[in-house]
Amino acid sequence: MMRLPLLSLLLAVSAVPAFAEVPKQPRAPGIESSGYVWNEQTGEKLEILKLKGDAERGRVAYEVCQGCHKPSGAGLPDGTYPQLAGQHATVLIKQMTDIRDGSRDNPKMFPFAGKHIVSIQEIADVATYLEGLEVPKDNGKGAGTDLDRGKAIFRKECATCHGDKGQGNGQKFYPMVAAQHYLYMLRQMEQIKDGKRRNAHPKMVKVIRSHSEAELQALADYMSRLPAPQRAKPASKAAK
Amino acid sequence: MQGNLAGGNWKSVAAGAALGLASALSFGQAATGDPEKAKVLAATNCVACHGPDGNSTEPRYPKLAGLQREYIYKQLNDFKAGKRPSEVMAPIVAVLNAEDFANLAAFYSEQKPAPGVVKDPKLAEQGRKIYQEGKPEVGLPACSGCHYDKGEGTSRFPRVAGQHAEYTYQQLKAFKDAKRENDRGLAMQSVAINMTDADMRAVAEYLAGL
Repeated sequence: MMRLPLLSLLLAVSAVPAFAEVPKQPRAPGIESSGYVWNEQTGEKLEILKLKGDAERGRVAYEVCQGCHKPSGAGLPDGTYPQLAGQHATVLIKQMTDIRDGSRDNPKMFPFAGKHIVSIQEIADVATYLEGLEVPKDNGKGAGTDLDRGKAIFRKECATCHGDKGQGNGQKFYPMVAAQHYLYMLRQMEQIKDGKRRNAHPKMVKVIRSHSEAELQALADYMSRLPAPQRAKPASKAAK
Repeated sequence: MQGNLAGGNWKSVAAGAALGLASALSFGQAATGDPEKAKVLAATNCVACHGPDGNSTEPRYPKLAGLQREYIYKQLNDFKAGKRPSEVMAPIVAVLNAEDFANLAAFYSEQKPAPGVVKDPKLAEQGRKIYQEGKPEVGLPACSGCHYDKGEGTSRFPRVAGQHAEYTYQQLKAFKDAKRENDRGLAMQSVAINMTDADMRAVAEYLAGL
């Protein structure tokens, strides 16, 4: 009678599976904390922005990213993974460093983007490489039923920063939103609204909070249909 | 808990150091290996398990033919340093040195890989989907991102095409269960942790046919 519980205890202990310890994303203060400064350029981010990115090295370093973001940089049209091709290098550097330091939560990406696997030079290289890629045209789009409303909101409240063609502004770290996946943009706007995207610009939070879900859908749909802007000179202006 | 944390930190640091070291070595000594000098060694110390030309016929033991020389060189060094624990390989590599490893890496990388065998085409088809597309719903990247569409790999990520399904499965499981921890930037452990046992069997079956 004594043996049975002891045996089952032993079995239970030995049956506990030991799993690999996957790198865990740290957590840095973000928009929820007082004294939040958007896009504060300190530490690693500052260092990377000073480096010169190399597109060819970036192509190699990008291998560890393309399992999700695809060799073309297109991500997935269902919005699980964003479209990255042709995005401003500065924007890519900001987002990658925010994920590395933990001010933008992304525990699934972190194991493939943290310091343990990608060097600061590789971050600069990958950003330069992606900026120079041609923007795919078959991105995920919305229902297309409310585009006028989306256009009106975009022109009035978004174009000042993101550009009238949705081209963004690399010098100011404002992302290109043209040709981005509809569902990805909608998810980001919802997270910004809810304070879950902790590296958001406070102005963005304010703008987005003034809109209903239907308005955000119309807006995301409109932006997803903006044609990718032609870049005069790809891959250079950001990380120099 | 504290022990775990310390272990994790130590691992990251060690992996980082190993990474730097491995890349320094792999482009140095691994590249200078002489396949001719490895012939006798391969025919005496390695042949029993890995076959005369690195095409092992025993599914427990990996095929080495056509693997990247950087990869073979790193694995041999890791076996010797205990970074990749193996009761079978440890005593064999203990009597060899870095020059032997470079020569062996050159020799096996130049052998022609024999095609593998798919026993269960349905399982292989499930594996194809995971290998080529990943499982976005659980954050599992496509294996093809690093190992490429045909499983050919690069100097940074090894060839996996045509490998014995049993060996591939064994290694995926070892990565998941923290029994193999010498992967570049902990990438394979981070991938394998998101794979189910069925995923690993399916991917392994698919790779045998590439």
